[in-house]
Amino acid sequence: MSTEQITAPGAPSPSGGTAARPGPRTRAHAGRGPRSLTTRRAWAFYVFAAPWVLGFLALTAFPLGYALWLSLTNADGLSQNSRFVGLENYREVLTDPETMSSLARTGVFVAITVPLSIAAGLLLAVLVNQPIRARGLFRTLLYLPAIVPPVGAALTFKLIFDRDSGAANGVLDALHVNGVSWLMDPYARWVLVTLTLWGAGNTMIISLAGLQDIPKELHEAARVDGANAWQSFTKITVPMLSPVLFFQVITGIIAAVQSFLPLLISLDPTPRGVTSVPESNYLFMINVFAQYFANGRYGYASAMLWLLFLIIVAITFLVFRLSKGAVFYSVDPEAAKPSRQRTIGGK
Amino acid sequence: MVFPRRSAVYMLLVGALVLFLGPFGWLLNTALKNPSELRALPVHWWPHDPSLNNFYDALTQIDYLGYARNSLTIATVYALLVTLASAWAGYGFARLDAPGKRLIFSVLLSTMMLPQVLTLIPTYLLFAKMHLTNTYVPWVLWGLCGAPYLIFLFRQFFSNMPKELEEAAIVDGCGQIRIFWRIFLPQSWPVIATSLILSFSWTWGDYIAPALLLDDAHTTLAVKLAYGYVNEHGAPLGNLVAAGAVMYVVPVLALFLIVQRGFVAGAATSGLK
Repeated sequence: MSTEQITAPGAPSPSGGTAARPGPRTRAHAGRGPRSLTTRRAWAFYVFAAPWVLGFLALTAFPLGYALWLSLTNADGLSQNSRFVGLENYREVLTDPETMSSLARTGVFVAITVPLSIAAGLLLAVLVNQPIRARGLFRTLLYLPAIVPPVGAALTFKLIFDRDSGAANGVLDALHVNGVSWLMDPYARWVLVTLTLWGAGNTMIISLAGLQDIPKELHEAARVDGANAWQSFTKITVPMLSPVLFFQVITGIIAAVQSFLPLLISLDPTPRGVTSVPESNYLFMINVFAQYFANGRYGYASAMLWLLFLIIVAITFLVFRLSKGAVFYSVDPEAAKPSRQRTIGGK
Repeated sequence: MVFPRRSAVYMLLVGALVLFLGPFGWLLNTALKNPSELRALPVHWWPHDPSLNNFYDALTQIDYLGYARNSLTIATVYALLVTLASAWAGYGFARLDAPGKRLIFSVLLSTMMLPQVLTLIPTYLLFAKMHLTNTYVPWVLWGLCGAPYLIFLFRQFFSNMPKELEEAAIVDGCGQIRIFWRIFLPQSWPVIATSLILSFSWTWGDYIAPALLLDDAHTTLAVKLAYGYVNEHGAPLGNLVAAGAVMYVVPVLALFLIVQRGFVAGAATSGLK
């Protein structure tokens, strides 16, 4: 019976076991009126929510708590009895010049890539929203790099920017310019930025969806009033698109601070080697991986990650505050709540 | 000089296409060159003597098909489980009500903002203690609880379905599980397809989790590809890397191109509406 099969995912739930079968039996209680119906629906909700809630508790909340505990110890994975060291790791994180400089580099990386990829995505979205031939094909092809798995993308860029056999130096050679070692300092940072921008199809698609929601009448009215294309873009398109752009700023920052692409671009031929990341690409996450893999400092790496999480929360909060008034919602304030929820939860 | 507007659009788009598709061209180009041609100066823009040998070597120098099978197993198991589990939870959030629902839902939304790496180290240590590393059990567990983003996707879809569907079923004596399984789920195939594709490609492309949880024998193509192709001196073999990467990337791209009708629009709007 299909009802039996579908209870399987909920089965781990002890509370779900009995409530999972309202089935045909519910008829017996039908006479008890709307209250029992409400109760039954409540029970059903818990049954449907149970797998996620249990999974969240076991696979997210518990590891988070464990991470918090680890960050207060000197756990290194080798010695059995790791010791409680209080806030020692946090003190070290905040005073370690290596950690702080990798954090600063991450900040620069975010400051360069997030605005650039949103701008590039918006430009492409405007272009593929024009009434032109084969625009569906253009959309698909420009989106294509965004779905390439990160490892595949990193390997591709390693080949393009190879010193001897790469296309980048081939182009320079054709222009009679000497090639450079792209994957080393000081150029490695720009390979990383280029690689990140290659995925701008993602922001293009999201902006495109936003563009298509803008009522055509607005642009028509502006044209009648004598606005040129640029005025129409800055005075109508951008404000109408501001919730979408705001959403992209938040998700873009959250994704970029966690970027570990430098690891993949400069991975050694030896398994799990992270020693060869050029300094300019030594981002915060790379430092975390180095502390973790190379040095086995679980406690210290956990403290670094908690710091990163606090920074993400702070940035998100800050962006929310700063964007007040700058983000334009086309709904009245009474209805603003669901609209804001949509923007946060959108990805 | 003033261009007619439409041709300016075409020029910009074609320029963008060259930049965006160029890397694929170079990947293929490198995969078809023979090793000596790779070192040719000046750089050969087309392979003068194209051959498929690199593909053969890429398949045989490492146990390519074995690693591909590992990737395929993990990605398929995870995609199927996570899609069903996310639809299950999404139905609850969309159609049912109970005390605490808003709280649970806001926790669900906020986990989407949580950096995944934060749970990574403790998860690894916990799974190691439970002897679950070097097995695919973690992916089964992750799949069984659903993914917040996909739950959200299903919730949005189920929320928009007419109330009458449900009411008629209740009058007929259907329980919620049967309503979900027989009525709502069969109607949600566009979201099911989106969810399957997204979750499959996440897992196919994931590097960190398999690198952390799996040893060399159990690991995935994504991990092995990143460092697997070296000569006896430990120097990377560009041609084989390229051939291996083509075979790794093309299935994902092909899957996307087959189903992209509506997917591009769907992936974009589902997140924002």
